[in-house]
Amino acid sequence: MSSAVSAGVEEHGLELQAADLLAMIDAGRPVLVLDVRNEEEHASWRIEGVRPFQSVHVPYFEFLENPEGALAQIPSDTRPIAVVCAKGGSSSFVAEVLRDAGRDARNVAGGMVSYGDHLEARRVSLGEARAGHLEIWQVNRRGKGCLSYLIRSAGEAMVIDPSRRTEFYQSLAASLRARITAVVDTHVHADHLSGGPALAKASGAMYMTPSGDAEPPGSVLGNGASLRVGESVAQVLATPGHTPESICLLMEGKYLLSGDTLFARGIGRPDLGSDVRAWARLLYRTLRSALSRLPDETLILPAHYSATSEIRPDGTVSGVLGELRRSAPELQIADEEKFIAAMERAARPAPPSYPKIASANRLRESVAEDLASEWEIGRNECAASRAGP
Amino acid sequence: MNAKKLDVRGLKCPMPIVKAKQEIEHMASGDQLEVTATDPGSVPDFQGWVKVNKKVSLRSQREETDDSGRKIYIHLLERLP
Repeated sequence: MSSAVSAGVEEHGLELQAADLLAMIDAGRPVLVLDVRNEEEHASWRIEGVRPFQSVHVPYFEFLENPEGALAQIPSDTRPIAVVCAKGGSSSFVAEVLRDAGRDARNVAGGMVSYGDHLEARRVSLGEARAGHLEIWQVNRRGKGCLSYLIRSAGEAMVIDPSRRTEFYQSLAASLRARITAVVDTHVHADHLSGGPALAKASGAMYMTPSGDAEPPGSVLGNGASLRVGESVAQVLATPGHTPESICLLMEGKYLLSGDTLFARGIGRPDLGSDVRAWARLLYRTLRSALSRLPDETLILPAHYSATSEIRPDGTVSGVLGELRRSAPELQIADEEKFIAAMERAARPAPPSYPKIASANRLRESVAEDLASEWEIGRNECAASRAGP
Repeated sequence: MNAKKLDVRGLKCPMPIVKAKQEIEHMASGDQLEVTATDPGSVPDFQGWVKVNKKVSLRSQREETDDSGRKIYIHLLERLP
């Protein structure tokens, strides 16, 4: 990746890949981001890096109507300017206007769609040499805050909650010399289209979900089931609440792939169905029974995060169950009815595309590319409480 | 009054606005232009554009489904003096 970054900078190419822009921001290299989308799109979803960076927002139609006025809104210095729009069309036009004015401007290829699709993999530190044969790789879809996993043991790999960029997981497995034998979705996702069925098919693996209508019947993950990958074993914990079928996978009794049930700093929202009270009740019982038996030192490896600040210095996102038990406000409520009432108060509308995404995932339908990227716009909104400022 | 029609289905930004701008330049005050687009981003884009272009106003916007089942966004613009 580092060679791609330097090529993008040194050759003064007209285009910059979203991955390279993120690498520049994360490394603290000078760059000015110019977002040329309309107000509404800009307000709802923006590029984020692990370090602060300067960005300006000037809609592209201002460059059409009044180029001098638009140019005057951009700080004048020698930093390269990364111009971004929804899909890369308008930003390409604006980058050209800027270059004509003598600025070092590059178009972010594919715009926010590419930013939202970008994946990067990092190995989770399991904290002890004893883990030996087991490797957990976290795949971060940074534009959306979605996390998926590749678990490797003795030449086999299990992929959990993959996005629809399935070739990424195949390449990762190949680079680790592992054969993908199982693909799991922890629940019916509403925020992103699952790559599970397609990845399983492409790699000759079994696709497994906790939903009752899964085919073949042996692929339905029930409570207490064991999943073997290489020399490691994952235990299935039924954890209904975020959705009724939600599960967590406990690897080797220590590493909890917690889906959308527990996050690094909170819990999954129970209000994405039609009956928030019913799902909140399920969630309360899950938190007080199945998950209450796990030790404090259990490592939480969630399927989402809400804020870039949750990314640790090593680039991964994780939590420790004992800390979550102490800090998450939802876990302080020790009364079922009070918990349900709190969840009901916190209920908020879901993005309008969520029911469509959930339905496509439930029915394992493939969705046309342009529709898929339209539905998947924006960061995930799967946590029970919104990210703080 | 009949509005002149502009079909920008299948075109992505900035083209719907670029083409609408070209048409509006050649229209007389009070003339209307009906733009049919498939890009959902065209809805907030037209709203933003008319704020910076003082020669045009946005009379209405509506969503329909065309014969091939695609969602279409119809923007009615009017040329100002």
